[in-house]
Amino acid sequence: MYQADQAFTAGDGLAWSPISKRHAWHRLLTAVLWALPVGGVGAFFVWMNGGLIPTVMWIAAVVSGVVLIWLMAELDRRAYGYAERADDLIVTHGVLVKRLIVVPYGRMQFVDVTAGLLERWMGIATVRMHTAAAATDATIPGLPAAEASRLRDRLARKGEERSMGL
Amino acid sequence: MSGPYGPPGHTGPYGLPGRPGPYGPYNRPNGPRGPQGPPQPPPYGPPPGTPHRPYGYGPPPLQRPPVRFSEGTHRLHWATAPLRAFVFLIIYFVLLGFPLLLTKTDDGFALALTPEVLARFLVVTVPMGLIAVGTGLWAWLAVRFRVDGDDLVVETGLLRKNKRRIPLSRVQAIDLVRPLVTRVFALAEVRVELAGGERSEIALRYLGRRSALRLRAELLARAAGLPGHTPEAPERHVWRVPFGALLGSLLVRLPVLGTVLLLFAALLFLVVYAEGGMLAVIVPVVLGLIRAVVAPLVMYANFTVAMSPDGIRLRYGLLETRMQTLPPGRVQALSIVEPTLWRSLGWARVEVTVAGYAGERQALSSTLLPVAPRHVAMHLVSQVFPGTHVDAVPLVPASSKAVAIDRADGAGTDDVVFVTRHGWPCRRTDVIAHARAQSVRLTVNPFQRLFGLATVHVDAPPGPVRVAATDRELGEARAIVESTARRALAARRAGGDPARWAR
Repeated sequence: MYQADQAFTAGDGLAWSPISKRHAWHRLLTAVLWALPVGGVGAFFVWMNGGLIPTVMWIAAVVSGVVLIWLMAELDRRAYGYAERADDLIVTHGVLVKRLIVVPYGRMQFVDVTAGLLERWMGIATVRMHTAAAATDATIPGLPAAEASRLRDRLARKGEERSMGL
Repeated sequence: MSGPYGPPGHTGPYGLPGRPGPYGPYNRPNGPRGPQGPPQPPPYGPPPGTPHRPYGYGPPPLQRPPVRFSEGTHRLHWATAPLRAFVFLIIYFVLLGFPLLLTKTDDGFALALTPEVLARFLVVTVPMGLIAVGTGLWAWLAVRFRVDGDDLVVETGLLRKNKRRIPLSRVQAIDLVRPLVTRVFALAEVRVELAGGERSEIALRYLGRRSALRLRAELLARAAGLPGHTPEAPERHVWRVPFGALLGSLLVRLPVLGTVLLLFAALLFLVVYAEGGMLAVIVPVVLGLIRAVVAPLVMYANFTVAMSPDGIRLRYGLLETRMQTLPPGRVQALSIVEPTLWRSLGWARVEVTVAGYAGERQALSSTLLPVAPRHVAMHLVSQVFPGTHVDAVPLVPASSKAVAIDRADGAGTDDVVFVTRHGWPCRRTDVIAHARAQSVRLTVNPFQRLFGLATVHVDAPPGPVRVAATDRELGEARAIVESTARRALAARRAGGDPARWAR
């Protein structure tokens, strides 16, 4: 029987493998890239219609939004963890809603690695496990690119060995 | 009995009679009878006294040598061409042809068949008729198919050819659909469902009724790993839903009764106070009742369930008849639904998730039993998931810290299935076999975290069934996750590959 504080441990005596710190920086950078045009155009219109004080308030709101996103991204990054156990992959994540996902290797239909333009530049990638169930949301973002492709190969091999069809 | 099922004592392709097959024994001469009771004359069967043929669509008396789909390439039935042309012409006539016959007069439109109107109509109709013939011929000639070893090969297109090769071991279900129009021509559509989303089904429309049955038998035999000329497996009648019971079950539901009351009240207002505004209530209410009562009534009329070594056979429909075959091990998860009023009458409905049906077809094909006495439903469930009895699985109630109306909520497991029960006033019992579980998840939302609770989800492919044990204590939830994962592994190791079920 598990105790309540052990509910989110990896089990099997394994420790959670963390994801890269660059994950949060990537989120921050994405947010900044969005905030610059939105904040700029918005500020221009607010300044034309309202004056200085509303403009300052607008910019403050946009900046605090970006900071909030970065904060959440950092907390999310800390909450993320994965472990390759003997027969399944276990992933945990989530700040408000905490999740723990157990995917047996034999159930994986395919594993893909995606990396956007910004992610490629930062050298990170997202590994996603697909099963026949759409609800399976086993995604590991922000892995160093080399580690991501190694993980994909390992998962694909284990999936191949234990494949069970549907 | 000699022939395809082998002499007694010899293991035929479907195994010895009495030996539990994938869905339990086919013949149980002395064993405990199913809950369907003593053998009554089957509603569609031959009259007693005539030599027994497997109920329904058994092999008819031989007139022609049966078609072998593994030899040569086959086309659709020739009547597909006139049928498609006819449908095209009807659409044309409604949208364009009929308005062409109308002439504009001072007070609206009139149907005046003057020579120039007829000439105008013919000038458009003759080319459209040619196009219709063309599309009909195209639809007929463009599809060719054959069974090649363990694959079904379907080629489409005349100019740009497209070839699909479908491994039959991946087949999730085979349906024979006969829309009203095609029943006149004795045609049927064969749909082969594969796992893999919206566009993954193969629809051969239309084949002759006999060759459609033949093709289904051959595909199922080959998918099971038997020679293709094996005749259709025999089947055992399980249950037929009487029309009265279906109508009653659709009416005796709280939302429907409430809507009927609303309709009467609105009609009363309309008549007594001559209040025309009541029509704004009546029209949507009537439409809603049609959708909730009349549509399922037409769709599930004459619902029959039969078991065969090929899987579960379902037949239903008043206007459009469907024959579904779900091979063994293809049901991913199911739920037993018992609305409040049904519970006091002892009725239940069974819904299933099959990996093949996606999108619109999921809503059409997710019913295993529209209504039946509870013990029949449970019998069918135990046939789908052999080796267990859902009612015997001990259910542990959810944590007492959770806010729940119905204390009957709970979750439990044995070595074969994971069962959760929830819902008030409409109670759902969701069942998933460990061997079919795709992944296990544990989620804690902010409210649950306040009380130290968690929800365990056991994921099945997309469908009407979602299995989730809500509001368990955190430690208990994690223990459920681990035990489910372990049992799933053990069940999959023991069960092996569900494809090739007859080998």
